Amino acid sequence: MRYVVQAVRMNLRRAAQYRSSFLLQTIAQLIMTGGDLWAVLMLLERFGGMGHWGRYEILFFFGAMHLVFSFTEIADRGLGRFSSMIRTGSFDTVLVRPRGALLQVMLAEMDPRRIGSILVALTSLIVASRGLALRWTAAKILLLLWSAMGTGCLMMGLFLLEAVVCFFSVQSIEIVNVLTYGGRQVCQYPMDLYTGWIRTLFTAVVPIALCLQMPVSVILERQEMLAGMQPGWVWAFPLLGPCVFGLIALIWMAGVRHYRSTGT
Amino acid sequence: MQLPESGIHVQGLTKRYRRSEGGKGLLGLFGRKTVQTDGLIDANFGIRRGEIVGLLGPNGAGKSTTVKLLTGILTPDGGDCTVEGIVPWKQRKRNAVQIGVVFGQRMQLWWDVPILDSFRLLRDIYAIPGERWKKRLDELTEALDLGELLSVPIRQMSLGQRMRAELCGSLLHEPSTLFLDEPTIGLDAVSKLRLREFLKSENEKRGTTVLLTTHDMADMQALCPRVLVLGHGRLLYDGALNTLLRRYDSQHRVRCSFAGEPAFGEAPRGLTVKAQESEWEIVFQPDQIPVDEVLRWLLAAGQVREMTLTEQPVDELVAEMYADLHLT
Repeated sequence: MRYVVQAVRMNLRRAAQYRSSFLLQTIAQLIMTGGDLWAVLMLLERFGGMGHWGRYEILFFFGAMHLVFSFTEIADRGLGRFSSMIRTGSFDTVLVRPRGALLQVMLAEMDPRRIGSILVALTSLIVASRGLALRWTAAKILLLLWSAMGTGCLMMGLFLLEAVVCFFSVQSIEIVNVLTYGGRQVCQYPMDLYTGWIRTLFTAVVPIALCLQMPVSVILERQEMLAGMQPGWVWAFPLLGPCVFGLIALIWMAGVRHYRSTGT
Repeated sequence: MQLPESGIHVQGLTKRYRRSEGGKGLLGLFGRKTVQTDGLIDANFGIRRGEIVGLLGPNGAGKSTTVKLLTGILTPDGGDCTVEGIVPWKQRKRNAVQIGVVFGQRMQLWWDVPILDSFRLLRDIYAIPGERWKKRLDELTEALDLGELLSVPIRQMSLGQRMRAELCGSLLHEPSTLFLDEPTIGLDAVSKLRLREFLKSENEKRGTTVLLTTHDMADMQALCPRVLVLGHGRLLYDGALNTLLRRYDSQHRVRCSFAGEPAFGEAPRGLTVKAQESEWEIVFQPDQIPVDEVLRWLLAAGQVREMTLTEQPVDELVAEMYADLHLT
């Protein structure tokens, strides 16, 4: 635990070393997510809502997805940089230290710049909740946090999957990006707006709809998405996130045994 | 199989690399075949606790592979090895606590924070008790002359300073075994000498086992009473470096200058004489002509003012050895 705290501090200190660059990139992040938000707002301006969802409800889904995703990105920048760790051989260094390889890789690099995106996401959540005059209860707050954590694990599992590929092929294939960044773009809208394979993909294969959106729809007190299910059930779905993460972590461990290192 | 509890033991250790070799162009993606190259084949050796041993061999001989297997970075395809009774790839973390590793071409400390921050993080990674860490840090900063550098990030250091900082980082947790992969590469003469001195004193004071690879023969001669020669993944020699070199040390060279013009008598067979400005260079093979015969012949030629006898440079000997062992 002390190690984790110290590693996080180290990352912050590194960001502080390049203060102006950090500031600029944080602003860049803010503008990028702000741009996404602006696009959603334009659509809502034109149509007033989407399907049976009102404008503030859409805004709430948007905020929840981006909040989770940005937090995940802060934590697992190390996974995103893993292919270069393999290529330069600095993964060797990880392996000669007495800590879990996965933990070290994840802590190796964090990305505090995402604070820009988080600000945008939080703002849209607050605005949406006020616009809806949402009645917050302890259970709702808990459910939001719970599903955010589950979804965070799920997204982290996807980033991990991308890293695992590096063990078996020197170049990282970008196909997994379709699920991570693509998932974020698709799932900023409620899943029942989609049909066909996209809906199947993000419900059954990469269950963002189950982990995040169904709990959110319960928080919004809308039952349509649940297809007749008892609202209490949604508490179970975020558990899928850690399950997916654990499964991919198993492949990761096999990958470490497969690691070939690079010549010096 | 039970291997001894102390020191390093390697039995039948084997590591193969597979890489796919594609044809050219887009069509090459299809006609790929897998080629196997050997990193290490069936190596056997033991190193006692407290020994300093050098790993020698041309590039691609399996030196780095050996180090990576012993440090738990790679998993072998066959065979066994233990470091202080621990199997590195099975108990990677337990092994990591007791070994220190330095790669000459790869910095392990964090690039853009002061090294003291790196050392603090290492304290928490290895869970070293605070006071013990402080004491050890003081000791190493003194021995490696790092005092003024503690607040400087690696990226602002010279290569020699970096290497000293790396050594400090790898020894903070007081490992019983130290692995060094080409630690002196790119270092200037002063840094090299200091590094050797430091390694020697660590080994003497703490009984640290040291296994190092280097292409620098002077390092080997200064540090390692015993060397292991690897070639094509096989262990070719295990013993004293000097004994090995004597096998290939076939030529002696005498340089001398005379007061006045020398009058050489009939030269012994197999000896060559060359005049170089005011000096004479005599080359002979000591196993064919006894040294004293050469000297008597030289002294008879005139009044010798200066004379040096040089052996063949070690690098040449090693090159000869590699050629003899079919490694080049």
